[in-house]
Amino acid sequence: MVNIEDLRNEARRILKEGKVKYVIGYAKNQNGLMPVPVFVKDPEDVEKLIWDPTCIHNLAKFLSDEKKRKSKEKKPDERPVGIVVKGCDSRAIVVLLQEKYINRDDVHILGISCEGSGVIDEKKLAKTLKGKKAESVDLDEKGDFVVSTKDGKIKVPAEELSAERCLECRANYPVIYDILLGDKTRKKVDAPFQSLDKMESMTEEERWAFWQEQISKCIRCYACRSVCPMCYCDECVVDTINFAVTADTSADEKAGRIKWIEKSPVPSENFVYHLVRAIHLAGRCIDCAECERVCPLDIPLRFLNKKLEKEAKELFGYDAGFDPDEPSLVSSFKDEDPEDFIR
Amino acid sequence: MDKILSKKAFSQWVKMLQSFRIYAPLRDDDIWTYEVVKLPEHIDLDFLTTALSPKKIIFPQKEVFLEFRKTNEDAPEIKEVLPEEDPTIIFGVRPCDAKALTLTDKVFGGDFDDIYYWKRRNHTILVGLACNTPPSPNCFCLSVDGSPHSTDGLDILMTDLGDRYYVESLSKKGDELLNLGKSLFTQPKSTDKKDKDKIQAESRKKIKRQIKDLKKVPPKLMGMWGSPFWDEEAMSCLRCGICTYMCPTCHCFDINDEILSRAPLKGRRVRTWDNCQFPDFTMHSSGHNPRPDKSSRLRQRIMHKFQYFVECYQDYQCTGCGRCISKCPVGIDIIEVLEKVRDYGS
Amino acid sequence: MPRRLKMAEEFEPRIVAFLCKWCSSAGSDLAGVSRMQYPPNVLPITVMCSGSVSPLYILDAFNKGADGVLVSGCHPGDCHYIKGNYYARRRIALVKKLLEFIGLEPQRFQMSWVSAAEGTKYTKIISDFVEDLKPLGPQTKLRRNQ
Repeated sequence: MVNIEDLRNEARRILKEGKVKYVIGYAKNQNGLMPVPVFVKDPEDVEKLIWDPTCIHNLAKFLSDEKKRKSKEKKPDERPVGIVVKGCDSRAIVVLLQEKYINRDDVHILGISCEGSGVIDEKKLAKTLKGKKAESVDLDEKGDFVVSTKDGKIKVPAEELSAERCLECRANYPVIYDILLGDKTRKKVDAPFQSLDKMESMTEEERWAFWQEQISKCIRCYACRSVCPMCYCDECVVDTINFAVTADTSADEKAGRIKWIEKSPVPSENFVYHLVRAIHLAGRCIDCAECERVCPLDIPLRFLNKKLEKEAKELFGYDAGFDPDEPSLVSSFKDEDPEDFIR
Repeated sequence: MDKILSKKAFSQWVKMLQSFRIYAPLRDDDIWTYEVVKLPEHIDLDFLTTALSPKKIIFPQKEVFLEFRKTNEDAPEIKEVLPEEDPTIIFGVRPCDAKALTLTDKVFGGDFDDIYYWKRRNHTILVGLACNTPPSPNCFCLSVDGSPHSTDGLDILMTDLGDRYYVESLSKKGDELLNLGKSLFTQPKSTDKKDKDKIQAESRKKIKRQIKDLKKVPPKLMGMWGSPFWDEEAMSCLRCGICTYMCPTCHCFDINDEILSRAPLKGRRVRTWDNCQFPDFTMHSSGHNPRPDKSSRLRQRIMHKFQYFVECYQDYQCTGCGRCISKCPVGIDIIEVLEKVRDYGS
Repeated sequence: MPRRLKMAEEFEPRIVAFLCKWCSSAGSDLAGVSRMQYPPNVLPITVMCSGSVSPLYILDAFNKGADGVLVSGCHPGDCHYIKGNYYARRRIALVKKLLEFIGLEPQRFQMSWVSAAEGTKYTKIISDFVEDLKPLGPQTKLRRNQ
């Protein structure tokens, strides 16, 4: 069991000692069940930090915000930031370390174990409550979720309420940390990619019909890209709304920037965006499923990335986000890499 | 005119309207969106808030302005592409979304009429549905001069009285629609009117979220341009752009030329929605960006809605639908931000 | 690439081929210089190395209406830049799996090793590719609409 006071004490300690600039964690939302990210600078404010199965956000995204902020300052504060992470979030930090986007001493990692139960899926919770409003969700000693509403508490087994990705999670406690709270037992996962089974057993035409319908819904709000910790490029190759222009950028460069896809949210352009993003995340996506959670049209984006995560494992024996010293998937190769598809 | 329509007769009325293109909220899993409805039986007015407001029917996310072609050395031929003037009816419009259309009317009208917007707007009839209970836990229409049964922008307002609808026609277009279904409508009894007034009065009480003294906010914002307040509020913002794309009043757009072929030159000029939360929104070709960070973009969003728009049009550019609050991935709450602005410095 | 098919005309697929300069492109040149006959359905694009073929090029080719896309490079061990084709082997495998996953016909995207001396192999790869694509018809799934 995770004792929240241990988390708060550690946060208080590193803030008091000036070890970190601020601590990124989860805080209670004044309006609603789901927590909000909080940036605690004052040691007195650590009481705001909470931990429970509603803490679904991947806070590692704010590490790239911090890096970008530092790059604009003349004399940046070089101290690390503290960050509260779950197992999946810690894998995101490992990928950022692998790519040398941040250094190990830029983060002080407060790791928390999900203890085999994972975090909740908001939609599953809404269906279970059938219109009632949840005030809080806690984890009990047996690993079940306890949902409190105005009318009392209901106990639900974790598998019924947890996010799909938690059911096949291979990192139920952080793989990298400065302190670790909670149970440190690796959950055994027999079928780590079973969520793909249904789709892979569909025929080619069924799969096409499915993806065509889903991708047509996309309005290219780019929320999926904005929330992904691994999408930190200053200039996204597919849509140059982030085109990084400096004093040295020549007029030719600006005029010559390639427009790969049109701005109109039509299916053909949407496909290029989503497929290129999935490929750029091959071997880097660690299945935090934030992209799917934030999508306002409920497009099941997670499957695109999960498919490549599975292929990375099955074709190349590669596991994203476990070892910070491992080279990235596409910048390494093995002599035994399969080539049966090559004529 | 006021009429009563029994729920059973509703789909018969819709059947009489087959000469129109009909939009209604349709459900796909857990998301409701306005789609063209082929069969009247598919219309289910028992819905909560839709993902996107009906603004997308009148001001679509992509529309073609003109097409151009060059066949030889002469100047290119340009062909204007105007929207089809299909008579359209949208059922199930919430009062907040209808009021939002009156606000975009001000932007696309006034001194200069945007022909693309108005061709669609003038051919669309809005049939509203009063909110007996708030469709979203984050509704706050009462605080922004709206109400769950407001008639602003609507041609017809329907109020659900249980087994029947109280149907109020508010315009000539609305009268026309009611006349098409003449025999299905009955005169309201005095008890019907009492029921409707009671339900509408109670619906106001059910709106949980309010912002007190919102009128203090516009003058307060004037003095907060350079304040570090915005850095604090925008710390967790992901600049994802969901708030702006979901908003029924937001109307910024981008215009691009899409080249379909280079030789012979053929292409079209397209207008698409744009988003002030995107980093490139105010990027100048010199490379300078007056809103380079998310805190300046959050400030822009709040000030546009609650200061600039008020100054120009004497209305808040917000109708309290609550979509931005419900959908923000990090829980940035516009009501909280406004309350903090109101109380800032005191 | 709009194509109006008349009733009597057979569908001629259009293949975009990314050929590495040092091996595959040279192999295609050898086929030409040796006057070997092979179908003219290819749009060859010379790249410096198969490892420099970005997934965006492939997706863009399909977006612009290519019926088939080929990436061809040096045999493993023979890359002019030592390792480029090894990276290509990994990357193209991932692209292929993803395109199949979303329901694009797997025959539409292929990779081959063709050395500068393999003019005959090149013609065979192209002829086989064209035969594979003819029954599939024009690629409409990812093509940008006019």
